[in-house]
Order: sequence, then C-alpha cells, then structure tokens
Amino acid sequence: MSVTRHNAAHSQAMSFTAQAAVKTRNPVLQKALQKAKPLFSGKRAKAIAALPDDGLEFEQLRDACAGIRDRVLGDLDVWLEIFEENARARGAEVLWARDGAEICDLVIDVARRHGVRKATKSKSMLSEEAHLNAALAAAGIEPVETDLGEYIIQLAGEAPSHIIAPAVHKTLAEVEALFAENHGRPQQPRTSDDIPALTREARGVLRQHFLSADMGISGANFLIAETGTAALVTNEGNGRMVTTLPRVHVVVTGIEKVVPTLEDFATLMRLLPRSATGQTISNYVSLLTGTRADDESEGPTKTVFILVDNGRADVVGSHYREILRCIRCGACMNHCPVYFSLGGHAYGWVYPGPMGSVLTPLYTGIENALDLPHASTGCRQCSNVCPVRIPLPELMHGLRQEQQRRGLRPWGERFGLRAWAWIAGRPRLYRALTRIAARYLNWLADGQGRIRIFGFAPGWTAARDLPVAGGRTFFEQYAARKRD
Amino acid sequence: MSARDEILGRVRAGLAKGDAGSRRAAALARLQAHPPGPRPTLAGDLVARFRDKAQSLASTVEQVDDYAAVPARVAAYLAGLGLPAQAVTALDVAGLDWAAAGLAWRSGVAVDADPVGISGCFCAIAETGTLMLLSGASTPASVSLLPETHIALVPAARIVATMEDAFALLRAERGALPRAVNFVSGPSRTGDIEQTIVLGAHGPCRVHLIVIGENA
Repeated sequence: MSVTRHNAAHSQAMSFTAQAAVKTRNPVLQKALQKAKPLFSGKRAKAIAALPDDGLEFEQLRDACAGIRDRVLGDLDVWLEIFEENARARGAEVLWARDGAEICDLVIDVARRHGVRKATKSKSMLSEEAHLNAALAAAGIEPVETDLGEYIIQLAGEAPSHIIAPAVHKTLAEVEALFAENHGRPQQPRTSDDIPALTREARGVLRQHFLSADMGISGANFLIAETGTAALVTNEGNGRMVTTLPRVHVVVTGIEKVVPTLEDFATLMRLLPRSATGQTISNYVSLLTGTRADDESEGPTKTVFILVDNGRADVVGSHYREILRCIRCGACMNHCPVYFSLGGHAYGWVYPGPMGSVLTPLYTGIENALDLPHASTGCRQCSNVCPVRIPLPELMHGLRQEQQRRGLRPWGERFGLRAWAWIAGRPRLYRALTRIAARYLNWLADGQGRIRIFGFAPGWTAARDLPVAGGRTFFEQYAARKRD
Repeated sequence: MSARDEILGRVRAGLAKGDAGSRRAAALARLQAHPPGPRPTLAGDLVARFRDKAQSLASTVEQVDDYAAVPARVAAYLAGLGLPAQAVTALDVAGLDWAAAGLAWRSGVAVDADPVGISGCFCAIAETGTLMLLSGASTPASVSLLPETHIALVPAARIVATMEDAFALLRAERGALPRAVNFVSGPSRTGDIEQTIVLGAHGPCRVHLIVIGENA
C-alpha cells in the first residue's frame, strides 16, 4: 500500500533498540528528561485532583470524551461529509490527501496559486508526517516554525521529540548555542534566569516573520462538523498570529479529528489542557471558520482545509480503532517510564511514547516497527491517564500478537513460544520440566538466591540479576503448604 | 478515483455499516439537539469566580461602576507600570472619552508598533477566567494580539458560567460563528525552554481586565 511505503521510507522505527542503547547513555538528554518528568505528571495530577471542587468527576468526563470520539469514528464518513459541506458553505476550500506526498503537493499548489513566498507555521504533527518543511523549501517557499519549541528544533535541523513539548530534549545551553549561531550574535554563558531574555529574542525574530508571511499553516486540534470550523489550542499565541495576519490560511489535519458540535468541543476542552499541561484552559483557544468578512480589514481571504488519510482510514474498521480517539494531549508519554528513559527520537517516526508505539506500526506498516509494541513495562500508567480511555497496553499487545501470527518475530522467539505453549498444554510434562528447571537455576545461583549472568539469555541479566526461588516450583511449594 | 472518494470509500469499507441515509439523519438530529456533556457547578457568584480565575492565570483585574470611569483607570494603570499612554482601541469601545484621560489613541486594526490594545469582549467565562472575543469589522482580532499590553473591558452582566453558556449566547445573539472566535485566558506564555514558564511568548505580555457594572 502506497501510504505505508511513503511513511516507512521516512521512519527509523526499526532501529528503536539500537537507538535506546544510545539514548540511555546520552547524559545531556538524560538531564533534560529527568528535569521534565516530574513537572508534566505533577501538574496534570494537581489539575485532575481539583476537578471535584467544581462538581466534576474525571471518570465521568473521560466517559463523555471517549463517547464523543466513538460517536464520530463510528460514522466517520457521514461526519466528514457534514464538516465538508459546512466548511464550504462558509467559503473555505476543502481538499483531501491520501498521504504525505499529496499533502506537500496540495500545499505547494495553493502557495503557487496565491504567490506565496514565506509560510509561518503553527505546530502541526501532520506536517511532520509529510516532511512538509523540506518540500516547501525545495519549492522555493520559506517555511518558518513559530511554536518556540518547534522553532528551536527547526534551527537544530531535528524532529520534535514530544507532541506538545517538541524541544523537551534540548537544554538551555543547546538553545543558547542555536540562537547565537542563527541570530548572528556571540554565544554567552546562560543560567535559567536568562530564559525570559532568550524567549524575548525569539519573539523579536519571529514577530518579523509573522508580519511578512503570505501564508499561515496550522494543524487543528479538532474540526467541528456543525460549523465547518477548525479549533486551535495554543499557549504562545502563534496559532492566532498565523491565522490572523497572512492572506492565506491552510489547515492540515487528520480525518479523525472531527467532533460534532460546539458543546462536544467544550466537553473535550475540559480534559485536553488538564491532561496535557495541567492547565484548566490553554491561553488561546481559537475557532476559525471560513474567510475574512467583506467589511473586515484583517484575516485570511483564502482558507483551505487539507483532510489527510495517511493510514487512518484503514484503522477505522480494524481491531485498533480505539487509537483514533486520541486527542494528542501527550499524557501517555508524560507518564511512560520507557519514554522518559529514551526521549522521543528513539521511537523513529513522528509520534513517540505509548500512542506512538501503536500509531507508528499502523501508519508505517507493522513489519516496519517491530520493536515499538514491545516498548512497554506493562505498568499501565498510559491507559490510567488517557482522557479518552484508549486501552494502549491492549492495543500494543494486539500488535505483538499480530507480529507472531504473521511470522514477523525472530525464529528463536517464535520457536520458544511454540515450544512453551506445547509443554504448558501438558500439565504432567510441564510440572516435571519446571521441577528440573527450578533445581538447575538454584544450582546455577550457587546458594546466592540470584543469577548474575544468565548464559542462555545474557540480555536479561545485563543490567539486573535474575532472582531464583530456592529450587522448588510454585506447585511444589503450594502442595507443601497445603499439607502443613 | 479522487482522493476524497477513495478515502471516504475506505472509511465506509472499514465501518461496513451501509445505509448512510439513516446514519446521516441521526447525525443531523444530533447537531439539532447539540446536548451538553458534564458541566461544573460553580460555587459563589460569577464575577468573583471570574476575577479569581483570571488572576490565577496571571491577568490583573480591577472593577469600576460604569464605562465613564474606564479611561481614567486605564491611564492610571499604564502610568503605574511606566507604560506609554498610547493605545489602539477596537471600534466598539472607541466611543469612550480616551482623550480626556490623556491617552493618545486611534481605533482600528493594530500594527506591530502599537504598545497597548484596548478591546471589549463578547462575553467572559467564569469557570476558567476566560475572555470570548469575536472577530469583526469593529472588533479586530489584532488589538488583543499584537500589542504587548492588552486591556479588556468586561461588563459584569456579560460574565457567564461556562463555555457552553457562551456558545448559547452566541447562538442566540449571532446565529453563526464569525471568522474567528478567540478565547483568551491571560497573557501569552511558553514553557518550551527547559519547561520554565515565560509570559509574553508571541502575544501580549500582560492582560489587564476592567470589570464594569454595579454588582462588580
């Protein structure tokens, strides 16, 4: 399938295990991650705990939010058509893209039709899926990322490492070096007291881009079917800038982002900012509908929606459909021990953390992201915090089962599991073999109660010891206790 | 086959539901009813709640009895912070006697050089301490966006409890959405450098709210 091939060509998800080894040994990255970790989870916990003060219950809101998303996804064709009709009725153009290459073609075509030379961008993960910046630059159109985090990583020539905090892996010293180099000034020693000054410096540079851009490109947090509206949630105000100042506004967003009504949007907004940053509301929430009115002297005169499949349509009817509920809050990665050990880049494609470990195999091909569904400790924190109740551990488990069914796991693993299943189906044989194994392990442990290096599978004991249970199986111990 | 037809076809094939007609009718009925989800019960009066929430989001709030008192309070606020007495105002608040308070002002769309923007609001939301601003010829969005200081006039009678109430007011008074509905909750902020919160990322660095009305 072409969608999968296009995405797989841009994915490094197959090198997850190798990248994991590199990332855990990178002290600068580890410092940045350890600093961010308690902030994310602490702020969210406080915001969720305060809900009952206003007579709201988290579980009740989660049910409502999951219900809204399921209602749309269960009739997605109908809701997309209603959105399209209402957006067109307000003068917006609605285009459709099968994959990232088509996104690039459509955006470049709109830009050429309107004589666009510079495009300011509010954060859009879809543009990362499409590698839109590179395509724009190749077509002679200057793309400028304006979310501060996205701007930093654009200067660094990197991809975002988190869906709401794209530069979470960057330290202050790295930001200072990037700004000095790109803003044409000498590098200075910096402390955290200088962060406001650096922010101000970026504000000055980006303000000039806002004022001179011909086109604004944004994503959409939601598409509201009732009104044909794009909803945009930001804290910095860059979303407002790119949708107010340029002549042309292009919204690039996934087909799964539709919600029915303004009331549904209001419900989702009670959990999105709380789950993402622990805010009760983000500083700027904008509902953008159609184009500039005849008597207005600002706002885009041309508004284009690009509704993108890029793998989504095939998930609608699959066993993994619940992942399409995702509202991109980032709570799953903010609570994931694997994410905070590695950062986002190790995941190899656009989306990191638990949601990425499900989305990347689905959008780039299960055979092209074999490690990601295994990037789990089984702690279930991701599904405990998910505001739309996505059963992330179960979806990852489903992907692991599918790898087995399709023969995508290594020979040794497949044989081992098959052999274990055969033995486990024969209780007498199983008990006899486990008795032997327990005694053998005890002998290997040499009375220490633990094995430091396990010769058959050294990976298991590379960073920990394998405890052994005194030479007797569970069945033997259970039987002995029953006798007592 | 067009991309649109192919994508919708794949969605339909995945859903395997058939009878798009009755599903569409059900969807349209949902839009007609637009039922709300769980909403908060706010303790205390809405003005106090709005003020407290806005302050917790780093806005400053003061209260006056009527519109006539506003220009002098704006001038005092700007002088108190050593800010220039120079503002661009939205056209719907241009009728106040700004000149008498010593303000150099003009009304209309804001430009980069404007240090202060003064706007009204369509309504305000007590639950989150939020302004609801509608774009329009007399209410340009740039006034609350480009200047470093944004001052908003909030009639106490226009403070509603929730975003749902604000939408109900919009449906009743306007029918359709304007090009842009902007919900503004305090100054622009970012945490993108080492998760340190800084105010004034791209939009205003400070937001001052003047609540107007006898129960203010």
